[in-house]
Amino acid sequence: MPHLRFIGVRLASLLGLLLVLSFVLFLLQEVSGADPVAATIGANASPEAVAAARARLGLDDPAPARYLAFLTGIATGDLGTSFRTRRPVMQDITAYLPATLELVLVAFAVALLLGLAFAVSSMLRWPLSGPFRGLLFLGSTAPTFMLGIVGLIVFYKLLGWLPASGRGGVEGGPTGLSILDSLLAGDLPAAGNAWAHIALPALALAVGPALAIGRVLRSSLTDTLRSDHVRTATAKGLSELQVLRKHVLRNSLNATLSMSALQLGFMFGGVLLIEGVFTWGGLGSYLLASLPVSDFPAIAGVTFVLGGLYVVVNAVADVLQSAADPRISVS
Amino acid sequence: MADVLVPAGPPPAPTGGGPAPALSPARSPGLSPGLSPGPAPRWRLTRRQGGSGADSKARRIGDWALIGLLVLVTVIAVLAPALAPHDPVQPIAVPKLPPFTDLDHILGSDQIGRDTLSRVLVGLRTSWLLALVVTAVGLLVGTIVGLVAGMFGGWVDALLMRTTEVFLALPSMLVAVAVAAALGPGLFNTFLAVIVVWWPYYARIIRGEVRGIMARPHVEAARMAGVGRMRVMWRHVLPGVVPTAVITASLDIGNVVMVLASLSFLGMGQPAPAPELGSDTSRGLVEILDAWWIPLVPGLVVMLLSLLSNLAGDAVRNRLAHRR
Amino acid sequence: MDVVAPPLTEARHGALTEAPAEALAAAPTAGSADVAPTAGSADVVARLRGLDVSLERNGVRSQILHGVDLEIGRGEIVGIVGESGSGKSVMSMAMLGLLPPSSRPRIDGSLEVAGLDLRTASAQQLREARRRRLGVVFQDPMTSLNPTMHVGTQVAEKAGSAQEAIRLMRAVGIPQPERRYRSYPHELSGGLRQRVMIAMAIAGDPELVVADEPTTALDVTVQAQVLTLLAGMRDQLGCSIVLITHDLGVAAQIADRIAVMYRGRIVETGTTRQVLESPRHPYTRGLLGSRLSLDSDRSRPLWALPAETPGAVLTGCPFASRCRDVVDACHTDVPALRAASAPDDAEGPHLAACLRQAELEAVESAHDRLPPLPPLPAAQRGAPLVQAADLECAFQVRDERGRKARLSALRGVTLDLQPGESVAIVGESGSGKSTLLRVAGQLEKRYTGALRGPQGADVQMVFQDAGSSLTPWLTIREVLHERLPRRTPTAAKEEQALAILDRVGLPATVLDALPGELSGGQRQRVALARATIVPPKVLLCDEPTSALDVSVAANVLNLINQLRRDLGIAVMFVTHDLAVARIIGDRIAVMYLGRIVEVGRAEDVIATPRHPYTRNLVAAVPQPGRTVLPLAGEPASALDPPTGCAFHPRCPVALPECASTVVGVQLAAVGDRPTNDVTLRHEVACVRRGEF
Repeated sequence: MPHLRFIGVRLASLLGLLLVLSFVLFLLQEVSGADPVAATIGANASPEAVAAARARLGLDDPAPARYLAFLTGIATGDLGTSFRTRRPVMQDITAYLPATLELVLVAFAVALLLGLAFAVSSMLRWPLSGPFRGLLFLGSTAPTFMLGIVGLIVFYKLLGWLPASGRGGVEGGPTGLSILDSLLAGDLPAAGNAWAHIALPALALAVGPALAIGRVLRSSLTDTLRSDHVRTATAKGLSELQVLRKHVLRNSLNATLSMSALQLGFMFGGVLLIEGVFTWGGLGSYLLASLPVSDFPAIAGVTFVLGGLYVVVNAVADVLQSAADPRISVS
Repeated sequence: MADVLVPAGPPPAPTGGGPAPALSPARSPGLSPGLSPGPAPRWRLTRRQGGSGADSKARRIGDWALIGLLVLVTVIAVLAPALAPHDPVQPIAVPKLPPFTDLDHILGSDQIGRDTLSRVLVGLRTSWLLALVVTAVGLLVGTIVGLVAGMFGGWVDALLMRTTEVFLALPSMLVAVAVAAALGPGLFNTFLAVIVVWWPYYARIIRGEVRGIMARPHVEAARMAGVGRMRVMWRHVLPGVVPTAVITASLDIGNVVMVLASLSFLGMGQPAPAPELGSDTSRGLVEILDAWWIPLVPGLVVMLLSLLSNLAGDAVRNRLAHRR
Repeated sequence: MDVVAPPLTEARHGALTEAPAEALAAAPTAGSADVAPTAGSADVVARLRGLDVSLERNGVRSQILHGVDLEIGRGEIVGIVGESGSGKSVMSMAMLGLLPPSSRPRIDGSLEVAGLDLRTASAQQLREARRRRLGVVFQDPMTSLNPTMHVGTQVAEKAGSAQEAIRLMRAVGIPQPERRYRSYPHELSGGLRQRVMIAMAIAGDPELVVADEPTTALDVTVQAQVLTLLAGMRDQLGCSIVLITHDLGVAAQIADRIAVMYRGRIVETGTTRQVLESPRHPYTRGLLGSRLSLDSDRSRPLWALPAETPGAVLTGCPFASRCRDVVDACHTDVPALRAASAPDDAEGPHLAACLRQAELEAVESAHDRLPPLPPLPAAQRGAPLVQAADLECAFQVRDERGRKARLSALRGVTLDLQPGESVAIVGESGSGKSTLLRVAGQLEKRYTGALRGPQGADVQMVFQDAGSSLTPWLTIREVLHERLPRRTPTAAKEEQALAILDRVGLPATVLDALPGELSGGQRQRVALARATIVPPKVLLCDEPTSALDVSVAANVLNLINQLRRDLGIAVMFVTHDLAVARIIGDRIAVMYLGRIVEVGRAEDVIATPRHPYTRNLVAAVPQPGRTVLPLAGEPASALDPPTGCAFHPRCPVALPECASTVVGVQLAAVGDRPTNDVTLRHEVACVRRGEF
């Protein structure tokens, strides 16, 4: 089974990448000179207490040993303790991750829809496709935070249609995703409220990726439509719908898939900015609060978790691609 | 005609994609069609893909105008301290003055009464010049690495490309934030943070181009003709890379501007009083209810820079494509 | 004189076409029964009358077809022959309603195909017709099949069911169709892919199959198989076939009638015999005259149709600017197709569109007017210039499923090249011929075995694609100067550059041009100029003419022959085309799967081929007026070469010991020529060499 082999190789490279990521973060931690002892037990502690704390944390061990400890920590879900909140970073991340995931997932869905709309509308050349493309292009040249600000000014300040901050919906539900929790609780108004809160940040996050996905989708659709094998399919007497379904879509999927995965990863970066603009209580806000106080365990933890997600998403996309195109094998 | 120049590189046939070369996620998505994922770009000095072959006079003028604007922005950036009407860090006006209401402060003033135009000009200077430097250094490092990897092949290529792959497989925005956080705030550290995640992207593109050119028989033909190795690199390979490098870089400046502004927005640029487009936006954010223009103006400038760079990058590509 | 196909004792050839007969007998015949042609006569499946087609490209509309009249009778094979740009492909696409909508086709005249007026048919009718009454075979089966779908599924889409698809796949000679059903196109060989296309084309028992250059992308022995298969399909199914090709020889193999197209017009049409034996239009005569065959005159330069004058005024006869028998009247009127034979000709009408068709019949053929080539200087006997012994070369590659595999490109090659001598190396794709050349040129260094010969600047090479072998951003001047020693004064360099340009027949103005500004033929001349500006001892040529149009190719071959004579260069010339090999080579070496199977004087190898593979290769060259007996089976893969003689699985005369005896490395001399002179020796790697 070539697919299994491909998945195996891809899984191995995924683990390798996570290892590299952990090493990079360890290196940065060393460079940053962040001192967990000073941060946790305070500057006024006695030298003995400091020494004891250093020994307990293994800070006087040689670098390889410290990296090994760092790595075992990651493997066992221990990302250290935040200087700022004094809680384990893992605990903080588990608390904030659902909000970020919800935002990214909704934004990704919006990006896919907008991208599809972009590709279809520019291929059909309907009258509004020009302005639509222009708007998307303009939006994609704006920094993500800028889109958030414009959205706030228009829909919150001037029109008053949408809320400016927070998440709305039912809080503290089982999944942590407020839309889903509201629906699970059967609270439709709350769900609507959650939608209203997420609309602006998700849209702001989605515009850039939408254009990228739409462009790739459009160009691979046009390329496939022009290809010889589609001509063959037409010559066979298949209907347009059949040709599209069996011979065009699957063949156009590949580039779109990898671009979508990339853009999903891109959103993990953009979400930092958007959460800042909309004071969305997720990992981005958590990171943003950690940055000014150089809370490096928190910064490294968030980077590792989001970076890990990014790596995983790309690996999944690769596996999906190899399922879509039998020619792809281990490179 | 030009079409003969296009096909280059090994047959794309059944090698398949493998993991697509990961575009750095931080840069704005696919603003340049040539940089879409998929097989490494081939040598494409010639015509725009699928575009109408027409090279109308209007288009020529438009392209040169955009390239001229790019130069103009650079000149403004260099002369910004002289052009700024006021001291950008001193409060000298009524706070929260809206734009276009006071001739002396055309773009208004910020929350503590500093002249927005002056702040924006100096902020633009920082952003633009730093973006140029990042692009240039990234291009330089990327070209050297890509050229060496592409020319020598074998384990050198494997080593260099595995390295870039690792970089590209990590989320660059996040890594840049982590690097900047580790190094602490400041312009040079921001530069380092961005360049660390930026060069692999150029290296990969240039290496792809070099491999494509190396696979063309003309390199073998030159070798057979008795041309030395260095001269082959210099005369028969490098000139083919230049157009791609220039196009890539010019399309990319806008992305660099955006990432720099984003880092600065997150508070990782220069410390407080210094005018910077990103940090001015984030600090102005609290005023969005009663003086929404304060965060808007610097943000708009970032957007204009990025828009201009994208359009001008396209123009550069058009001009290069039609040069012959 | 035609070379007669060598008689082969065990007739394996029939196997291919016989097996499908029973399989096809079971085909449902309902498909053709309910056809009610709208046109009056029931035995015409396609009728084109005054067909004009114009297409838009980059916003510019140009007329591609001008008043084409053509009728395809039921069960008839019509060959449409023309060069690139003749409009033959546009015509075939128009007959299927497949002109790309993006080119905004405009169609005038009448276009009736399979009982349907394609100009007015609804999309639904068109689809129905394509599904049940039409079939199509495209040139490149690799791109014409969906890479992400099992080939069987693709056949089944037209055939209706998997069982029917498997039956059709068996009928077109795909071995183990049940297993192949689940293959992807990239896992099949070129020949099998084309068979899949044919299976798809004949699914639903169509009335008309359009085959657009179906064999151009294939090796010559596979080409013969595919042509035989197509003809067999017609015989068994009674479908008509429109065979589009640039090669009169291919059309002549299986076509009943031939229509010659030039610039969107049919300039001559008649039965295959009429067109080939008494061509009336100067263009047809030119095509026949410039066609390389196994009996072209080697003592004279090849005759070629003159190139089209760029920017010539196009009033009157479109061929006027290239016609050597042009008169003033040709420039005023477009000649219509007129009867060229007596109207009561039993064979059918023979029409030609030439004002002077009657008088030109008697004119001698242009070829006879060319002066003979100067004789070659007497070959220097003695120490060989290049000596290759037991060369082996293998690469690590990935097979079609992405696994690591070892590709044996050369498996023990021994070959000598005398000073001033020319050896043509002939083989199909995968035979290792190009690798041999690259090893000889030191471009490929991963080989074992002994290789002695000139090195560095004494070996020069001309590549298949001259366009990509010239650095695109360097002018021709820079390219030529680069070959001269650094310290040569510029004036001297310039003088030498001008001299060599003159020798290869290019004007001095070319010096300032970039390669992209030159035509394909000019570029190949520049490549030759670069190779010979300092005359090397050996010139290596890697299929330098295979990418060129026939007339341009002929000129390049003439130039190589001329340079040989002028400069005394030894030539090693790689080609897949025996006819080309015969023109260039004093000797011919035939390669199969990394080994030389036969080598000898060109006339010996062509006239009395001794190796069964060579015999098939000779027999498979499409020649007007000779039936091709195709060789069964697929060329073996270089990833997994058969044991013993690599050819034995396909060999019609193989003995059991062929599977175990390797005779490839030791060529054995045959015939009664003195064997101490290498240039006269005829050597064959076959255990049964003495028997034929």
